[in-house]
Amino acid sequence: MTSDEELLEAALHGDEAAFTALYRRRQGPVFRFALHTSGDAAVSEDVTQEVFMALLENGGRFDPARGTLLSFLYGIARNLLLRRLAMKRPEDSDALPEDLAADDDVLDDLTRRETIEAVRSAVLSLPAPYREAVVLCDLENASYEDAAAALECPVGTVRSRLSRGRAMLGQKLAVKTARSIS
Amino acid sequence: MKESHLKVDPVLQALRALAENDREREAPPEVEARLLGAFQLRHARRVRRIQRMRTWAASATLAAGIAIALLLWPNRTPKPAVNATPPVVEVSEAARPAAEAGPAPKVVRAPRTLARKAAAASPPQAHEVVTDFFPLMNPAPSFGRGQMLRVQLPAAAMRTVGLPVREEHLGDLVQADVLVGEEGMPRAIRFVRFDVK
Repeated sequence: MTSDEELLEAALHGDEAAFTALYRRRQGPVFRFALHTSGDAAVSEDVTQEVFMALLENGGRFDPARGTLLSFLYGIARNLLLRRLAMKRPEDSDALPEDLAADDDVLDDLTRRETIEAVRSAVLSLPAPYREAVVLCDLENASYEDAAAALECPVGTVRSRLSRGRAMLGQKLAVKTARSIS
Repeated sequence: MKESHLKVDPVLQALRALAENDREREAPPEVEARLLGAFQLRHARRVRRIQRMRTWAASATLAAGIAIALLLWPNRTPKPAVNATPPVVEVSEAARPAAEAGPAPKVVRAPRTLARKAAAASPPQAHEVVTDFFPLMNPAPSFGRGQMLRVQLPAAAMRTVGLPVREEHLGDLVQADVLVGEEGMPRAIRFVRFDVK
């Protein structure tokens, strides 16, 4: 299979088929990353389009030594999203609701549909640094290295954000579940 | 922080459920269509830019070729293109290189105040004076579109189309406009001088 880098090289030289193949291969992860980070399908659509437009304009700047093409695309999407979200809504507090103890079984009580929507909502309520790490590593299965390249931070930082993000998510889900039960 | 209360495994399960649920979600087809439109437009612009650069490079090469050809062309009988009497184009002082200009002519200076007033009243402006076009192809094919290129040539080139040039000015540089046809062939030439009024 032709690599992303080869497709990009060909696309930048005017090969439409290569651009189409690259887009079809990578638009899904970019769209979902935008969707899980913003929670807005229209924004995600715009961001996906802008990411690939930026790739056409500035694809020559991609350096394989700094990460994969997918991490480069995530990085562009992240910058676009940060710009949009900064305008749209204030950050949630990253304080944990520590006064609420989680019941071991509460997540099990949710139906599948409710769980999914509750998780989606909880992910969206995470502060951006934790949300990005959780979305990339847990939802899109990006490697720590790819996530680090996209988020422009060391791998260790990705790990710690991920760990803290999951912990916060557990608390948020527990609270949601407790509220729905009560 | 109460790490013992955090339930990582159920969280991971919940995240997996969300990932699985959204696995098929992707950008709508309109995005691909818009991007392909932008790609084609951008590529077409790039191709046009390259073609334009190639045309210019070819025209510049041709202009240089004309200059050399005109220099090497043996003198022929004066044959003006349009006018019965060939227009005389003198080599302007401005176009002549400083090293070849010879001793500077003696200038009688006007009193400073008068000169300043005169300058303020009518600032000097350079006007182009051009000859008629002289055909470079015989017989000349029909002319549809083309480009005009401004080039610098030795004054000797003027003699090749029958214009008089003094012996001592043959090596001086003069400006000329070369009309290049759509097919890239030089069609006609005219010479330019600058009059300062």
